[in-house]
Order: sequence, then structure tokens, then C-alpha cells
Amino acid sequence: MDTASSASRIARRRAALAIVAAIALMVGACSPTSVRSLNITGPWARTSPAVAGAGAAYLTIQNTGNVADALLGGSSPAARVVEVHETKDMGSGTMGMQRVERLEIPAGSTVELKPGSYHLMLIDLARELKAGETIEITLDFEKLGPVKVTAEVRAG
Amino acid sequence: MVMTGLRSTQRRPRPVRAGRLHLTHLVSLAAAVLCAGVLLAGCAAAGPPAWTMDPVMVEPVTMPPLGARETAYDPPVPAPPLRLTDQDGNPFDLESLRGGPVFVYFGYTHCPDVCPTTLADVRAAIKQSGVPAKVVFVTIDPARDNAAAMQQYVDYYGADYTGLTGSAVQIARAATDWGVSYRQLPSDSANGYPMAHSTETYLLDADGKLRHHLFFGAGPDLIADRLTEVAGP
Repeated sequence: MDTASSASRIARRRAALAIVAAIALMVGACSPTSVRSLNITGPWARTSPAVAGAGAAYLTIQNTGNVADALLGGSSPAARVVEVHETKDMGSGTMGMQRVERLEIPAGSTVELKPGSYHLMLIDLARELKAGETIEITLDFEKLGPVKVTAEVRAG
Repeated sequence: MVMTGLRSTQRRPRPVRAGRLHLTHLVSLAAAVLCAGVLLAGCAAAGPPAWTMDPVMVEPVTMPPLGARETAYDPPVPAPPLRLTDQDGNPFDLESLRGGPVFVYFGYTHCPDVCPTTLADVRAAIKQSGVPAKVVFVTIDPARDNAAAMQQYVDYYGADYTGLTGSAVQIARAATDWGVSYRQLPSDSANGYPMAHSTETYLLDADGKLRHHLFFGAGPDLIADRLTEVAGP
């Protein structure tokens, strides 16, 4: 075996090692890690008299992570209890509501809480909700935990 | 339990052949069954409440095409009667509002989403169109929505809003007249039970004629357009 061929063998081995290392690094970089990330946009609450049975707040939740999460409810200084409800068709031209214990927010999805659909029910309002003011709502997520948002109060 | 049968039998001792089914056995058995029956019947009679609310389910008057936000009465028809108790506890007749357009809506005060959304859209439409219109909010939850509750609710919206309530029977009759279905739903909410109910807003003209059903989600723009048309030049 002359030096030229052994040198090229070493070089080939080095190249092979480099390629293997590069592949390993790439594979390492692609291996999935849990990304929990929610974007909450446009929180608002409808103006309401204090004496109304309950008020409502709406917002959009975007799950930009790769792990599903779920909205379990919330709390707010503006109301005694905050629950998630869904307005739905109840047949024969009627609409009604059902409490949602766990609103699933699948990975990569956007879930809208809006009039006529999912909404946060603000039960036993502490005071009238007046247009132009803001209220704090702490959303309770199953994985992410508590997330505080500031909701704008408006008529519609 | 009075076992008179047994007692009278025992007072007249009669030789009984052991092991044989004797008349005394049958009599005492029959007496026991009868007494048990009377007791059980008494329990059953005490059980359910004397009256429970029956759901009011009415076939919709018109079946609009899918996705429609309204239906129109062409020609207009006289509006059904509406005579209930207003938020001040006084008798109210819808005919008293003749002379201008009127919106009629059936809902309930413990409704946080559909009813406030609809009333907000109607309020916005009235403002947008510049047409002064009256709004009549009729409760389909008279158990909770008494006159005082209706007063607090409609006072918030303004002087042109009337809240109507009544007895369960009166509300059921009014709902049937207007083609409104409603029923109580089970609930595990701190807000109490929700109601399922028809969500149309009725638009009447100044002569008390029904002109439109505006469905939930019609939106303030469409409502304003219809109000302007109905109000006329």
C-alpha cells in the first residue's frame, strides 16, 4: 500500500465521517421538541348592565405550537365566575347554550370565541360593563396554565 | 296497618291441618297485598310536582332557504296579539305602539350571548337608520324574569324598550301565537339553567302589520335597511 492510496483512504474516511456527522446533526435538529405556544387576539366583552344574568367575552385563540391545549375556564375581577359556553342550534329553529368543561385547542388550529358560538360567560357581574373601559380576564389553560388578557368593553 | 282479617280469624280458633293452604292464609295474604298496594299508591301520588313546565314547540311558520337571514311577509299580515304585563307591572297591549315601526323579540335576561347580541344589533340598526323604533322584549323565562327583572334589563337599553312578562300560561300562549318555540335546558352552570328558544326578531310597521322575520345574525346593516323600508318615506 503506497502513501498516496492510504492518504486517499484516510481522506475518504474523513469525508464519510463528516457526512455521517452532518446527517446526525441534521437528524438531531429535526427531532421534535414540545412547543407550547398560544396567541390570544382581540379579547372584548360586550357592554352589559350589572343586573343582567351574565355578560359575555369573546377572543381568538391561535395554537402556534405542536401540542394541543384546552381552555378550561377562567376568572375575572369583573365577575364572580367565568365559564366557557357554546351557543348552538337546538333544533326546530331554536338556539340554546351548553357549558363546555374543556374547549380543545388542537395544535396548529385557531379557535374563535364569538357571538353565536363559543363564548366566555361572565356570571354575576361585579358592576356594569361600560363601553370604553377594559376588564382583566385570566384564562385557565390545561397545559399552559393561567394567561391574563385585557378585554376591551364595547357595544358590539 | 290494621289486620282485622287475621284478628277475627284468630278469635275463632278452628282446627287447621298443618301443611295445607288454608283460607286464613289466603285472607291474610290478600289483606297484606291490599295494604301494601294502598301504601305504595300513596307514595306514588306524593311524588312528582303538581305542575311542570311543558316545552312549547311550534312548527316554524315559514321554512327559509338555508343561509337566509330573513323572511318577508308579502303581503303584510296583521301581527298576532300580544297582551302581557310590562316592566312596571301594568297590562300592556302591543296595539298601543301603532304609529311607528316596532321590533318584537322573545328571549330571557339570563341569556349572555344570543339575546344581548340581537338587542345590540337592533339598537345599532335603529341608530344607523335614524328611524325611531320601539323594541318589545318578551321573556320566555317568566319563572326568573318577573316585572322587576325586566325593568332593570330594559331600562339599560332605553325608554323605547318595553319588557314583557306574565304567568307561565300567558307566556306560552303568546309564544304559540307568534310561532316561538322554547324549552328549559339542563345546566351545570353557576348561571342557572339556559333556555333554548327561537331567535327571530319580528319587524312590524306603523299599522301593526308583520313585515319581516329577521334571523339571528342578520346584522345591523340588514336590519337598518328593512327598518328604513318599513318606516317608508
